[in-house]
Amino acid sequence: MARSWNKAAVVLCMDVGLAMSNSFPGEESPFELAKKVITMFVQRQVFAENKDEVALVLFGTDGTENALAGEDQYQNITVHRHLMRPDFDLLEDIESKIQPGSQQADFLDALIVCMDLIQKETLGKKFEKKHIEVFTDLSSPFSRDQLDIIIHNLKKSGISLQFFLPFPIVKKGGTGDRGDGSLLLDDHGPSFPPKGITEQQKEGIQMVKKVMMSLEGEDGLEEIYSFSESLRQLCVFKKMERHSMPWSCQLTIGSNLSIKIVAYKSITQEKVKKSWTVVDARTLKKEDIQKETVYCLNDDDETEVSKEDTIQGFRYGSDIIPFSKVDEEQMKYRSEGKCFSVLGFCRSSQVHMKYFMGNQVLKVFAAKDDEAAAVALSSLIHALDELDMVAVVRYAYDQRTNPQVGVAFPLIKDTYECLVYIQLPFMEDLRQYMFSSLKNNRKCTPTEAQLSAVDALIDSMSLVQKDEEEGTIEDLFPTSKIPNPQFQRLFQCLLHRALHPQEPLPPIQQHILSMLDPPTEVTAKGQVPVSKIKTLFPLTEVIKKKNQVTGQDLFQDNHQLINHIEQFLDTNETLYFMKSMDCIKAFREEAIQFSEEQRFNNFLKALREKVEIKQLNHFWEIVVHDGVTLITKDEVPGSSVTTEEAKKFLAPKENANTDTAAAFEEGGDVDDLLELI
Amino acid sequence: MSGWESYYKYQGDEEEEQEEGLEAGGDDSYSGRDSLIFLVDASRALFESQDEDELTPFDMSIQCIRSVYTNKIISSNRDLLAVVFYGTKKDKNSVNFKNIYILQELDNPGAKRVQELDKFKGQEGKKYFQDQIGHGSDYSLSEVLWVCANLFSDVQFKMSHKRIMLFTNEDDPHGDDSAKASRARTKAGDLRDTGIFLDLMHLKKRGGFDISLFYRDIIVAEDEDIGIHFEESSKLEDLLRKVRAKETRKRVFYWLKLKLNKDVALTVGIYNMVQKAYRPSPVRLYCETNEPVKTKTRTFNVNTGSLLLPSDTKRSQIYGHRQIVLEKEETEELKWFDEPGLILIGFKLLMMLKKHHYLRPSLFVYPEESLINGSSTLFSALLTKCLEKEVLAVCRYAPRQNTPPCFVALVPQEEELDDQKIQLAPPGFQLIFLPYADDKRKVPFTEKVMANSEQVDKMKAIVQKLRFKYRSDSFKNPVLQQHFRNMEALALDLMEPEQTVDLTLPKTEVMDKRLGSLVDEFKELVYPPDYNPEGKVTKRKQNDESSGSKRPKVELSEEELKAHVSKGTLGKLTVPALKEACRMYGLKGGLKKQELLDVLTEHFQKA
Repeated sequence: MARSWNKAAVVLCMDVGLAMSNSFPGEESPFELAKKVITMFVQRQVFAENKDEVALVLFGTDGTENALAGEDQYQNITVHRHLMRPDFDLLEDIESKIQPGSQQADFLDALIVCMDLIQKETLGKKFEKKHIEVFTDLSSPFSRDQLDIIIHNLKKSGISLQFFLPFPIVKKGGTGDRGDGSLLLDDHGPSFPPKGITEQQKEGIQMVKKVMMSLEGEDGLEEIYSFSESLRQLCVFKKMERHSMPWSCQLTIGSNLSIKIVAYKSITQEKVKKSWTVVDARTLKKEDIQKETVYCLNDDDETEVSKEDTIQGFRYGSDIIPFSKVDEEQMKYRSEGKCFSVLGFCRSSQVHMKYFMGNQVLKVFAAKDDEAAAVALSSLIHALDELDMVAVVRYAYDQRTNPQVGVAFPLIKDTYECLVYIQLPFMEDLRQYMFSSLKNNRKCTPTEAQLSAVDALIDSMSLVQKDEEEGTIEDLFPTSKIPNPQFQRLFQCLLHRALHPQEPLPPIQQHILSMLDPPTEVTAKGQVPVSKIKTLFPLTEVIKKKNQVTGQDLFQDNHQLINHIEQFLDTNETLYFMKSMDCIKAFREEAIQFSEEQRFNNFLKALREKVEIKQLNHFWEIVVHDGVTLITKDEVPGSSVTTEEAKKFLAPKENANTDTAAAFEEGGDVDDLLELI
Repeated sequence: MSGWESYYKYQGDEEEEQEEGLEAGGDDSYSGRDSLIFLVDASRALFESQDEDELTPFDMSIQCIRSVYTNKIISSNRDLLAVVFYGTKKDKNSVNFKNIYILQELDNPGAKRVQELDKFKGQEGKKYFQDQIGHGSDYSLSEVLWVCANLFSDVQFKMSHKRIMLFTNEDDPHGDDSAKASRARTKAGDLRDTGIFLDLMHLKKRGGFDISLFYRDIIVAEDEDIGIHFEESSKLEDLLRKVRAKETRKRVFYWLKLKLNKDVALTVGIYNMVQKAYRPSPVRLYCETNEPVKTKTRTFNVNTGSLLLPSDTKRSQIYGHRQIVLEKEETEELKWFDEPGLILIGFKLLMMLKKHHYLRPSLFVYPEESLINGSSTLFSALLTKCLEKEVLAVCRYAPRQNTPPCFVALVPQEEELDDQKIQLAPPGFQLIFLPYADDKRKVPFTEKVMANSEQVDKMKAIVQKLRFKYRSDSFKNPVLQQHFRNMEALALDLMEPEQTVDLTLPKTEVMDKRLGSLVDEFKELVYPPDYNPEGKVTKRKQNDESSGSKRPKVELSEEELKAHVSKGTLGKLTVPALKEACRMYGLKGGLKKQELLDVLTEHFQKA
C-alpha cells in the first residue's frame, strides 16, 4: 500500500547531550532507550520498503554541522543524515556510530534546524505528510524567543510534531480511548520516576505542552509519549498509520432510494509483505534452482503427458466432469456489478458476532462534500441505532468479484458516525455441530465451592479498572494497541542477519515478550485464586493415551502405511521424502515401544524392494543417511536381527545401486551388471 | 487430506500461505471416510399422507436424503452413502433376506444416484415405487440391521464414522412378535459394539410416535449424555434440520491446553463452525480419456541436474541491495514465541468487546476430557460464572508451534434448543479474534452532519416496513450454486442447468410496494429539489468500465524501464505493466508486486 501520494517526510531529532546518558543503576539510559525506539521505527520503515524519506538530526553533539549554524547560533546540532529513503546504512549508524555527546543544545533550536531541513529538502517533491519526532530528556536550557515563529511555521507548512520523553507526563483531561491505559501501564516500565525531575526539565515539560497545545489543542497532549510506552506500542508513531483506498458506491433501499456513500477498510489482517525466495545453498542464487511440474497418467509406468494434452475438469461427487476455461467463463455466475443494496432490516441480536466472516471491516460514510447524502445516511444510522436494528445488505466490490451478504450496523462516535459493514456466512459456510449439554450432566456439574472459587478468580484477574466517581471504566489491557510481535521479531532477525551474517539468530527481545504478558499486578492478584482452583478441581493429565491409541491405529495395518509412503514417494519430491522419513521414524519408534519389531522389519524390507524397483536411490540415500535400519536385538530383545545385519542391510545394496547408476551413466550395459549381482 | 479440507479452503490467492496453517490437524488425513446408510421403512403406512396437500412421510424421507446427497457432493464427496428400503415386496441384498431392498450400495454420491432418487419423488414416485419394488407384508428388523452391517463391512476404504439413519413412522414394528423384537435388540447391540451408530428419524404418526414402546433400546447414540431426543417430525423442514445436525461429524481443529497460569491447565477442543466454502479446485484430465492425471513437481539444480534436498537450499529476501539469507528452519523458528495453547490474560466486561473490531471468523471452544481429566467441570464452572457475571476471558492464542500468538476473547455461550429440541447453539465459548494495532487502519472520515428527528423518524418508518427475521442459513452462495448446477447438468446430460434463485439480490419490487410513498416523503425531507443521488457516481462508474476494458496495453521500452530502475520509480508502474515487462525479458517473478519489482531491479542492475 505504499503509494507515492501517501509519502511522508520524517525528521528524527535526537538529543545525544550529556544528560541523556544518565541513568539509575540497573536501568537503561534515556540515550539507549531513545536509540531503541528509533531503531524500531527505522527498521519498520526499511522493511516496509515504502517511499517515505527519513532524516536524522542530532543535538548535543560535540561538533556542529547544519545549514543555519553561525558564530554563536545553532551550535552543537548535527544533521547526521539528510532526507532520503532509510536503509541499512542508517540502521548500522544508529547501532554503532551514534555516540553520546558531552555538550548540550537547545531543543527548540534543534527543532528549527529540522524545520529548515524539511522545508528545503522537500522542495519540488510531493509529500503527503511532513513530520518531526523529537527524542529528548529536556535537561538542557532553551530560549523561548522564537517560539511564536516556530509554531506559526509548523502550522503554515503543515508539519506535525511528536515528542518522546524518558518519563510519562500527566495528561490532564485526556479523553478518548487512547492514552488512559498506557499511563497506568507505565508503572512497570523502566522510566525516570516523575519525582526525580529537575527544575529545568519541569520547565521543558511546560514548554513541550505549550507547543503541542498551540498546534493541536487538547489532542496535542496525546502526542507526547514516554520511551517505554512507545516501545510497547509502536502504533504511537503517527505516520505508521495506513490509509485505505476509498470505495464509492450508492447504498440502495428498494429501487427508488439511494444514498451516495464512500467506504474504507478499517480493519484487515496485516500480513508480512515479502515472501522468501528459495536459493541454492552454495551460490545463494535463485536462478540455480528450477522447479518442474510434469503430468503423468495413473498407470504403472506413470506415462508422462504434455500439458497441452490435458484439460480442466471438476469433481461432482463421484463424477469427474471435463469443463474447460471457456465453458466455465460462459456458464459462470454473473454479478451485476458493484453494489451496496439493503435486502432488509432485522434486530441486531439476530446477527451475532460468531457469524462474522471475511477478512475485512468496512466503514461506510456519506460521499465527501455532499451534505444531502450525509443527512440521508445520518437518518439511517440513527434510525437503526434507536431501533436497535441492523441492515442486511448485498455487497459487491465490482463486476469481477463475487457478491457477499453482510451486515451493516451503526457506529456513532463524538467526531463521526458511520455504518460498519462485515460479511455474513452463506448457508454453505456453516457447520452445524452438536455438543453434549454441560448443564444437566452430573459428571461435570461444579459444586458451590468450585463455583465460588471461579468467581473469585474472575474478580481478581479483572482487566477493568472502574472509576466509581466518574462512572467510567478503563481497559488495563487494550489489545488493539499492541503491535503484532511477528513483524517486530522478523525485522529484528533480518536486521541482525544483515549486519552479522555469520551469527545465529538473536533471542526475542524482552520488551516484545513482556508486551504479550498480562499486567504484572493482574497476574499477582490471580495467584491465590488459581491455587485455590488447583486444590478444588481435580485435574489429572491422561498420559499420552490418546497418542498411543492413534499410534496403534495408525500402524495396525502396515500395508496402509506402505501405501501412504509409496504415494509420497511417487511425487518424487524431496519434501515428501522428508515426510516419508518422518512417518518411517515414527513407525520405528512405535514399533520399538510396542515390541512390534517384526512388523517394522518386514515393512522396511518391503520398502527397500519398492525403492529398488522404482529406482528411488535418492530416497534410499536419505534412509541410509539418517541411519534408519532394521530393529536389532539390542533395541528389542525379541528381534532376530543383529547390529551387524542391520548395518549390512543399509550398506551393500546401496553400493550396488550406485554402481548400477554410475555404470548406466557411462553407457555400460545394465543387464550385464545385474547378472553379476 | 480429506475431502472437507480441500473444499473448505481459506480465502484464495494472497491469503493462502498464511491461512493454510489453520487447516485441521494432522490426524485427519488418516481418519478415513464417513459413511452413512439411509434406512427407509417402505411399508404402506409411509405412503399415506394425512392431508391432501401434505407430503407423505416417504416423500419427505426421499427429499431429505436427496438433499443430503447434493450437500455431500458439495461439501465432502469422498464420504459414502447408501439407501436401503425395508418392508418391500421385492428383495435385493447379498444374503437374500426377504423384504429388504438395497437401492444404492455404500458409495460416493454422484449425479446418477441423485437422479435415481428423483424417480421416487411425489405421486409419480409412489407409483414408480409400487411398480418397481412394491410393499411387502412383513420384515424382521434384525435382518434389516444385519444387511446394513454387511454393507459397512463390504467397503474397502477405511471408514472413520459409520452411521445408520432410520426413517419410519411405526413406533412398534414387532409388537406382536416378541422373538423378533428381542432379536432386533440383540442385533442393535451388536452394531453398537462394532462402532455403528443408529439414529431414529421418526416421522409423524397418527396418535403420536412413542419411542418407549420399542426404539428406546434400539437407538445407539454417540454419546449417552447428549441428552437430546428429537421430537417427531411432521414437516420436511424439521426433518431436514435434524438430519443435517446429525449428518456432519464434528471435526476438531486443535486440542489445546487452556492455561490459567503456569501450573493449572485444562484441555479444550477448538472447532470451526463457520468457514468459507469455495468452489472446488479443478483437476487436470488427460484429454484422450478424461482420466485424471497426477502432477509431479521436482526441484533440481540447473547446472548439475540433480534433485535438491531441503538442505541444499536456503531462503532469501532482498532489501535495497542487501541479500539476507536464512536457513529454512530459521524462517520457521523466527515465528516461534511460545508453546501452543491458550493462555489466560484476564477478564473483561462483555460490553467492552467491540463489534467493529472484527478480524477473522470465530472458532468454538468446548472441553476435552480425554487429555486432562476434570477439564469439563472446570470449563463448566468458568462458563457458568462468565455468563452470570457477563464477562469474557482474554487469552493469548497460539494454535501450534511456530505460529505467532494473537489475542482472542472467549465469549461465553449458553446452550440453546428450539421447540423441536434441536440444538441451536451448543454450550461453550466463542473464540473471537482481536486485532493488533497493525491491523487497524486510519480512515479519513466524512464530517459529521446530523439528521433531525423528523428525518430519522421517517427512516425509522422505512426500516420498520422492511423488517425480517435473519437466519444465518437464509442465503445460499449464488456462485457456488451456479457452479454445482452446471456440473449437475453436464453430469446428467441435461440441456440446461437447473435455474437457481439468487437470494442475495434485493427483492426490489416487493420492497418498493411495501414502502409505498415513504421513499418520496423521505427524499423530500433530506434531499434538495435539484439533487440527484445517482448523478455523479454512476457516470464515473461507466467511465471506469470503459477505461478498464479499452485500456491500451502499456509496453515500456528498455530505456524507460532502465530509467525507472535507476530512479527507483519502478514502483509507480502497475502490476500488469510489471508482469508484461517481466515477460518481455523472460524473467520469472512472483505474483506480488514487490517480487516483480525485485526481479526487474535485479535484472537491470546486472545488465
